[in-house]
Amino acid sequence: MMRNFLKLTTAAIVLASTPVFAQTDGTADDDIDWSLYEDLGFEDESMKRYANAKIEGLSPAKLISIGYDFQGPYSIAAGDLTKADGTTLEGGDAMQVNSTAGIRAGFNLPVISQTNLVWQMGANYWNTSYNYAEAPTSSDNPLHQSLSEHGLRTSGISTTIYKPLDDTQFILFQGSADMSGTYGASAMPAQYLKYSAAALWGKRPTEKKQWGVGLARTYRVGELNYIPVILYNKTSANNKWGTEALFPARVHVRRTINPRNMVFLGYELQGQSFRMYENLPGFEQLRDEDLEIRRGEIRVRAVYEFSLKNFIWMSIQAGYRINYRYDVDRLVSGPDIYRAFGLIDGTPAYAQMNGLTNPFYVNISVNLVSP
Amino acid sequence: MLRKLTFLAVSAVIAFGTLSFDLPQQSEDPGDRLIGIWEPSNGRSRIKIDRIGNKYYGRVVWLIESNDADGNPRTDINNPNPDLRNVPLRGFRMCKDFVYQGDDQWSEGTLYDPNNGSTYQGTITMRDMNTLDMRGYIGVEAIGRTDVWKRLKMPSRKKK
Repeated sequence: MMRNFLKLTTAAIVLASTPVFAQTDGTADDDIDWSLYEDLGFEDESMKRYANAKIEGLSPAKLISIGYDFQGPYSIAAGDLTKADGTTLEGGDAMQVNSTAGIRAGFNLPVISQTNLVWQMGANYWNTSYNYAEAPTSSDNPLHQSLSEHGLRTSGISTTIYKPLDDTQFILFQGSADMSGTYGASAMPAQYLKYSAAALWGKRPTEKKQWGVGLARTYRVGELNYIPVILYNKTSANNKWGTEALFPARVHVRRTINPRNMVFLGYELQGQSFRMYENLPGFEQLRDEDLEIRRGEIRVRAVYEFSLKNFIWMSIQAGYRINYRYDVDRLVSGPDIYRAFGLIDGTPAYAQMNGLTNPFYVNISVNLVSP
Repeated sequence: MLRKLTFLAVSAVIAFGTLSFDLPQQSEDPGDRLIGIWEPSNGRSRIKIDRIGNKYYGRVVWLIESNDADGNPRTDINNPNPDLRNVPLRGFRMCKDFVYQGDDQWSEGTLYDPNNGSTYQGTITMRDMNTLDMRGYIGVEAIGRTDVWKRLKMPSRKKK
């Protein structure tokens, strides 16, 4: 009898203990009551849930990017170069450019990545070299010789701060300081830094949608501007389609072939104000004035991004570069001129109004994307 | 007498089994503080971390969207291995092979993200008993992303 009791007890212990071990091993899923995990609160009841910075299906963020940008043939029609009093110093002329090309590199790495705060810092370098069909000389408009000999480049630093307020609301801040100009091996003084920023308040009502509204200080169309901005990211229910937009800077419709292959159609505004620095040929007559090329362009494009291997992605974009502005501005007393798209009267006239025809372009980059 | 003993023994066993399910596992191994149910920052899933041998593993026990658009249980459709794309996400072991290193850190493991089918090297740092920093990275830890996971209360057995 005692033996039977021991057998029964042993069997009962083994049977009763099985679920305990099952929790630490690969129990057959049929044996698990999944409903046990449905209604669970935080162990620390003071903890809160916060809106995630990303939504489902969004294209991966680029941590490090190295690329090359190439624009095909187009012409630059340089306007008359004038003094502030309207006196013409140089007549205008048009010249053919075979190509415009340069390296574009940047990185954007997380400094703080927590549930209630994400902070990233980045840097970028863009170079643009102008390859004229015929090398400009001193007899041509000085704009051509300056671009041909010096090109344009931008280097800068940036920061992005994402601060969720609760499980749906968030604040997004982006800021950058860029050194843009005709400078070469020696950088320009820090006084020529251009500061851009955007601040948005937004909501993330579902896992597949986030939107926000805010205000930006930007040079994207060449001139300094203060404009409203709208963030809108959305992924369709089946994850195949999406929208990634920070209007008006860029808007893209996304087709997700799979999470490692994505195609985008849309546009981006690109631009900056480039300081004409040091001894640019032909512009000596205006050395007592600060001159800047206000370059703004719209790139209508198709982009294919795909994983080469694991987190190494390639991005191939092709499209049409539409010139918005390429005028030389004069900063009479130093600070930037705010024209509000021409709505503010009494601002100084441009030193030179230029026109560019529009070429096709391609941009290829290799990127290390965020996990 | 024997019947009473049997009844007491069976009652004790049942009680033991129930208690062991309802309460966090008590262990003197400091690495076992990782054992529990955790919620990633996006709140879309819950992961139960257990120990097998001297390593720690986490499996998905809850998904905010347990079914796909067609009403079928979600599977690992983004897995780079086509043969594994029919594996149900619920029950999927997404954290593997973590080993306790001391100083509230577990490493040598991998993290799998079913949203894109990527597997990362991972380290886990316990900020406090109820908060984990789950860092997935590529090659070097500097290039990665940290997600904060929060401990959930252990479930109680539902009364039938």
